[in-house]
This record gives sequence, C-alpha cells and structure tokens, in this order.
Amino acid sequence: MSVQYKSIKELKNMLNNRDISHTELIQETFLNIKNNSKLNAFITLNEEESLKKANNLDNIAGSGSLAGIPIAQKDLFCTKDLKTTCGSNMLSNFIPPYSATVIKNLENAGCISVGKTNMDEFAMGSSNETSFYGNVQNPWGENLVPGGSSGGSAAAVAAGIVPAASGTDTGGSIRQPASLCGISGLKPTYGRISRWGMIAFASSLDQAGPMARTAEDCALLLNEMCSHDEKDTTSIDEAIPDFTENLNSSIQGLKIGLVKEFDLSKLDNDVVQIFEESKKHYESLGAEFIEISLPNISLSVPTYYVVAPAECSSNLSRFDGVKFGKRCDNPKDLEELYIKTRSEGFGDEVKRRILIGSYVLSAGFYDAYYKKAQQVRRLIKNDFDSAFKNVDIIMSPTTRGAAFEAGSKGDDPIQMYLEDLFTIPANLAGLPAMSIPNGMVDNKPIGLQLIGNFLDESRLLQAAHNFQISTDWHLKTPSGSKS
Amino acid sequence: MDKKTVSTIAYLSRLSLYGENEDKITKDLENIIKFVDQLDQVDTENIEPLASPLEKTAKTRTDNITAKNRKEVFLERSPKSNDDYFLVPRVVE
Repeated sequence: MSVQYKSIKELKNMLNNRDISHTELIQETFLNIKNNSKLNAFITLNEEESLKKANNLDNIAGSGSLAGIPIAQKDLFCTKDLKTTCGSNMLSNFIPPYSATVIKNLENAGCISVGKTNMDEFAMGSSNETSFYGNVQNPWGENLVPGGSSGGSAAAVAAGIVPAASGTDTGGSIRQPASLCGISGLKPTYGRISRWGMIAFASSLDQAGPMARTAEDCALLLNEMCSHDEKDTTSIDEAIPDFTENLNSSIQGLKIGLVKEFDLSKLDNDVVQIFEESKKHYESLGAEFIEISLPNISLSVPTYYVVAPAECSSNLSRFDGVKFGKRCDNPKDLEELYIKTRSEGFGDEVKRRILIGSYVLSAGFYDAYYKKAQQVRRLIKNDFDSAFKNVDIIMSPTTRGAAFEAGSKGDDPIQMYLEDLFTIPANLAGLPAMSIPNGMVDNKPIGLQLIGNFLDESRLLQAAHNFQISTDWHLKTPSGSKS
Repeated sequence: MDKKTVSTIAYLSRLSLYGENEDKITKDLENIIKFVDQLDQVDTENIEPLASPLEKTAKTRTDNITAKNRKEVFLERSPKSNDDYFLVPRVVE
C-alpha cells in the first residue's frame, strides 16, 4: 500500500491497523525521497537513525501521539549530532551538540526526523533561490519556485514524500511556500512555540510552526510542538488547549473581517475570482463578512524591512569564525579572520540585510529608522487590536499570485520583498495566521490566508478544517487528485 | 547613500564588498532605504515604540545551575581550539 500523499491521520490508522509496519513506512519514505531527489528538497538525510527508530517501534509499541510519523525538519532547527546548515555556507560543517526544544517535543511524541530541508539562506528569501545548496523545485512545475524560506519543507509535503514538516515564519516563510505548493501551514502566535535551538533571524518576529496536507494534521502537530520553555524568555506560559478539540464544531455565525485597505484590484483576475469563491463558500458554511479597516497596514512591508534587518544584523554577528561554523584560510590577524570568514560564508541577500541593519541601527539613523519603524509597528498592532473587537478572524489571499518561475523577479530585491505583502502584518503584530489551499491558477495551487486573534489558533484551525471537509483543494496533488 | 557610507557600514558589519559588486550593492541599498523612507510620512508623535509583540518583561527564575559543563563538546566544534580555549591569531604582540 503506497504511503505517498497520505495524511498523518491516515498513516496513524495504517500503523494502528498494522496495514504497514513502522520500518516499511520509513523505508518507503526514503524511497520517495530518492525518487524525488531532483526537487532538491533535502540538504541532509537521517536514514540510518530513522530506520533504527522505526525498528524499535516495531519491537516495542511507542506511546507518543505521533509514534512513527516521518517528519522533515527545516534546516534552521538545531538537531543533535545531525548537520544543521541554515541554508548557508557559513554552517556547512556545523553539527549541533543539542536539539531545539520543538525538535525534542516532536521526537518525544514519536515523530521520526527523516532529514533536514533546504531553505533560503538564514531564512532570508521568498523563493528558496538564496540557499547555498541550490534552488528547490516546486513539485507543481519544473521551473517553478516553491516559495520560501521554508521551501524544502513545503516541497517535501507537496510531493507527498512526508506527511509533515516543520517550518519557521518571520514574514511569511511558512504561509507563502504553503500557498505556492498547495499545502496547509500555520504560523502560531509569537511565543507559542519555543525558539530555543532555532537559529535566530529576527527574534521579535521568528516563530516555528507546522506544515502538512490538512488543517487537522497541523492541529495534531501543534499539540506536540507547543510547550512553555524556561530556556526561551519569550515563551508564553499560558494553558495549551487540545487544538483538535473544536475542529468539527460548526462555524455558524463566525465573523470574518475583510481588510478594506488590501487592494485586490492589483492582483490577477484569477486570484480575485478564487478569493470570491472562497468567501461564498464560507458564507454557505454560516460565516458572515464584515469590512474592517487597518489604516496603517500598507506600511507593513517597509516597517518589516527596517525591523527584520536590524535584528538580523545583530543576531548574525555571532558568526565570526571563532567558536563554530566556517573559518577562512590563513587570516593574517583577528580582524581579517572576522571579515574574510563573514564575506566568504554569507551570500548576497544575507549581506544586503546585514548592511541595511547596520545602517538603520547606526548612530544618527537609529531614531529616524529603527525607532520610527517600531512606532509604526505599534500603530499596526493597534489597528489589529481594534479590528478584533468586531471580528473573529481576518481573511485575505496568502500571496499575490501562484508560484513564479525561478529568476523571474529579476535582481531587484524590493520586488521579492513585496511577495510577502499579505503575510508580514501578522508577524509584526505577533498574531497566529495560516494558509490553506483554495484554488488553482493554470494548474498551480494558491492559498487563502486566515489571521486569528492572539492565542486563538483553535479558531483558525476550526475555520480551516470546516473549509477542508467541504472542499477538495487540499486533496489535489501534482500527480492528479488524490482518491 | 554613497560609496563612502556603504564602505563604513560594511566595515561596521565586518564584511568586505568586492569591486564588481560594489555599484550594485550601493544601488540596492539606496533603493531599499528609499522604499523604507515612506515611514517618514507617518505621524508617530507620542507613540511608544513596540519592540516585541509580547511586551512582557522577561520572566525571572531562581538562579540555579542547570547546565552541565560540556567544555569539550563545544570546543571540538570550533574551527581551531586546544584543550581549554578557542584559538585565534595573536592579538597582542
């Protein structure tokens, strides 16, 4: 029985019914990884260890809720004794001595980490084209990008290789690739999942989350990924609900906000048409739509491109060639060691963001840029606070269009930055948001974004699940509709 | 943004920009700064900056030693080290 394209829920049933053994599941997963090697979705595989774990589960019943489920981990999470590159030459030889809390949580639940997925270098990119390890191919088309930065994770799930992957989202890095690859992805509330052991890009925006075929699977993963962690001072110490509990409850009376300031007229007709159809579908499920105003939302992208580079330039100063990672050959003194190591180790986009960060943080510009951006960030958050007094969730397209061709955004970085127009606001405000497949443009999937109120992931997942049990967009695969 | 500013911030970032890239990088940075300059139009007087969406002060805990000394594990990941230290080129002659 093939395991390709199976959801977590389906695989759990197959394992429970002994339709398949743990070892067979992992063996077939690695076969699928190898048959799809042209996607370049993985940087490092963990085959021997995975088979060992599967064999153990076959001999001693596992107790975790996700026992034996194969998962692909974004190569941004530290994994003990397994190479972790963050998509960069700088960490091409880095083998962490510990695992990130979220990796530990997933593995304690029984997940088997089959490999580390390709990504934009240090998560800086929206097309996976900035990876030192080469582009990832979108399973939906040879020259199409999978989105980014969690492009390898999205491609691995979309190709049906694994039912689950971890991702991280600083400005849309889970939701945008989920949209472009036709899968479901959730960025939880900032602080919901521990950041300990995640290689930091922009600490006040970074958040890990699940990527899977369905909202229901995202809920199963989220249940295990969340925990309060003393090692992360921004980890939220609030009760963690069972995110699967309300999935099947009706959304009759759900109030959905539509953002007046999102100008959809600039999008492709097809995207607008698909969005309108999704609205109608939600209406048929009993939801009502309310127009809301987020007056400062148009400033999200420029705000982000001050805050994120500033935090990045500070976070990435740790890569100095002294304690771990790459070091240049034969430096003549300490300063040359720093400069040569960093210049050789980082790619162009990472350098560009470090430079912008150093500029906006430098004496004389700090108030004009960094402080100003933080003030606008508060205005954006205040806008959301007011809007959520009248609505339960906010809905928009996830992306401006479907997957684009590699190289097609030219060499103007701002064109690529605008790719995250709809996703960035939720990161600035720290709100949970997810993307679910809601249509196809020229045989390429696109996604619908749902933004929730603080800590209200349950409602997002409920709204997404209600959509998915009454539509079949999430069942489409690059090799045809799933039976 | 001129080349001198770019070379100053490159030095602050401990990055060297090679000749062929310098014009392109200067132009890109100029465009990005121009793009973020639209923030200037917003009236933010008396608006408190928002540094993190949580706005909570870091939680404190009792200062117990929880980590084991794993000096060897960390030193062996260094590009160059001896039994006790990370090694770098000589700083003081």
